[in-house]
Amino acid sequence: MEEKKHKVSRRQFLSYCLMGVGGFMAAGMISPMVRFALDPALEAGGESDFVQVTTLDDLTEEPQRFDFQVEVEDAWYTSDQPRSAWIYREGDEIVALSPTCTHLGCTVNWEGHDDHPNQFYCPCHHGRFEKDGVNIAGTPPTRPLDVYEVEVRDGSVYLGRPMQR
Amino acid sequence: MKWTTQQMDTYLNSKEYVDTAVIPLIPLDWEKDPKGKVSMGEFTSLVTEELERQFKGRIFQIAPFTYLSGEADEQKLERLLEWDRHFFKNGFKHIVYVTSDGDWKKLENELPDMLIWMPSLSLESMDASYAKEILNQQMKQMLPLITDKWQQEPKERS
Repeated sequence: MEEKKHKVSRRQFLSYCLMGVGGFMAAGMISPMVRFALDPALEAGGESDFVQVTTLDDLTEEPQRFDFQVEVEDAWYTSDQPRSAWIYREGDEIVALSPTCTHLGCTVNWEGHDDHPNQFYCPCHHGRFEKDGVNIAGTPPTRPLDVYEVEVRDGSVYLGRPMQR
Repeated sequence: MKWTTQQMDTYLNSKEYVDTAVIPLIPLDWEKDPKGKVSMGEFTSLVTEELERQFKGRIFQIAPFTYLSGEADEQKLERLLEWDRHFFKNGFKHIVYVTSDGDWKKLENELPDMLIWMPSLSLESMDASYAKEILNQQMKQMLPLITDKWQQEPKERS
């Protein structure tokens, strides 16, 4: 007799089944919606803008060129674009200069010309910059080289965006 | 500078600084070895893009000069010469043709200005970072060719 009381009736069994299946279906539909709704909020962590470029140990007082990739959104599509930076140590500070000449955008080189040691040199129109990126009067560029935002985490150097000075 | 309206504005504002046109020469062939031709085109574009990145302020990257591989040498040469005359007449004192197609190497002596011919490498089978390293090495050797060219007088056209 006791056992009979605990038995699930056919009607109850079917309704449990329906509830279970329906629940899964609802979850399957709702969870992607929730995800998409929250996704932009999770993305905007800001940290993703910084790219690891090198380690602290590799830096010297002499500017060295490091190449890296950044994701660029260009109206219709996103792509990985090559970027470079001239990075050196100045005491405890790390300086990362953009190699883009502020005149018309060629790539400058450290000591790129034998006559101008300790300067950045632009091969296109002979623009020159001091080690700290300041343009040298009398050459075509009119403002200093841009500086990257620098962050150091666990001995690695991360670069953000180049900032105009 | 690139073939875009935005960069065209920069060009129009600083014309006097931009005296070099880079024209990629790209072969087409859908009959014999189409993939080989695509690979040449791809490599040529990569090299041209990188040149443009290095010398943005003095180089204008012209739209590619395309031709069927079957086109007679004299005919495509004549067409390219016409492009060359056109750009030379309109402010480009230096013109550089970039290609991976060996046919142009044979015609090099007939060309009025500098040909850069680099055999195409099949970068698809390589690791991306390795491919980049190889391309960088190639570029490093190529950049002085351009800067040296700037030291010399522009070639006269007849």
